[in-house]
Amino acid sequence: MTRTRPQRQGGPARTAEEVDEAMLAARARAGDRSAFGELVSRHAAQARRVARAVLQDPDDADDAAQDAFLAALTKLHQYDATRPFGPWLMRIVANAATDRRRRRTVRRTEPLDPGLVGGGARPDLVAERQVLLGRLREALAQLPERRRLAVVLFDVEGYSHAEIAEILGMPEGTVRSEVFHARRRLRTLLADWREDA
Amino acid sequence: MSDPNTPFDHRPDLVLGAALRAALAPPPGDTGAFVARVLAAADRPADPLAEVLARWARRGIAAALLAALASGWVVGRGLAAPDDPPVGDTQAVIAGVQEPDAGVLLASFADR
Repeated sequence: MTRTRPQRQGGPARTAEEVDEAMLAARARAGDRSAFGELVSRHAAQARRVARAVLQDPDDADDAAQDAFLAALTKLHQYDATRPFGPWLMRIVANAATDRRRRRTVRRTEPLDPGLVGGGARPDLVAERQVLLGRLREALAQLPERRRLAVVLFDVEGYSHAEIAEILGMPEGTVRSEVFHARRRLRTLLADWREDA
Repeated sequence: MSDPNTPFDHRPDLVLGAALRAALAPPPGDTGAFVARVLAAADRPADPLAEVLARWARRGIAAALLAALASGWVVGRGLAAPDDPPVGDTQAVIAGVQEPDAGVLLASFADR
């Protein structure tokens, strides 16, 4: 499932989805496999993107996301059901990805995108798009890790500054600053690419 | 894109967000496979190697405790009853019948 959360600025009201996820978490903690499966299904795409923001390599990122879900399952007793599940899980994902990045010694090569290998849309458009996405990934990889995570969590995943501060364990002002600097770098890249195009 | 001149913008940048989302997206249509993989991993029993290492660690800790207790007993016993060189040995050294060892010599100095 791919979606962006509506951003909010840390108010006390909880959405029906958050209440639902708290119930799913309680059921998963009690051993309900389908409830855990539903939580994984809801957060899989987001967890994989966040892990990839840290690790770049898609296979490493998937391994880290899987580690994070399994860690979350064993730590469900630590989850505060009065708070949203997403930020709690993303903190585990970010930590799992960072741990894996530290352990990694050999960097694997990136597989060819299926869009370039197979048929589908016009090859020139697909290739052009792949160039941009590749450059974006490279630019992301050059940012400091916390900055990378901050901009992905804010602009891609729709978390508020306060929530990102909680996820990354840094002051909210630092999150704002990190998002600003990351955006400045990435926007320049996007603008250059448009001019080139 | 939002105005880049507003450094601390509260709003997400939709254009940048969409581009980053596409750049970081996993291959389309494989979320189901990923979910199945996570659930299968969750169903698997704990890593057998980790179990073996954990058993070894428990045995190692038990052996270390036993060794520490035994060493403590030996050291405590030694402190409680220090070995004094037998007097007969001292006299044998003085008489030139036996070669001196350090303990006997120190004991003879202590006697003076």
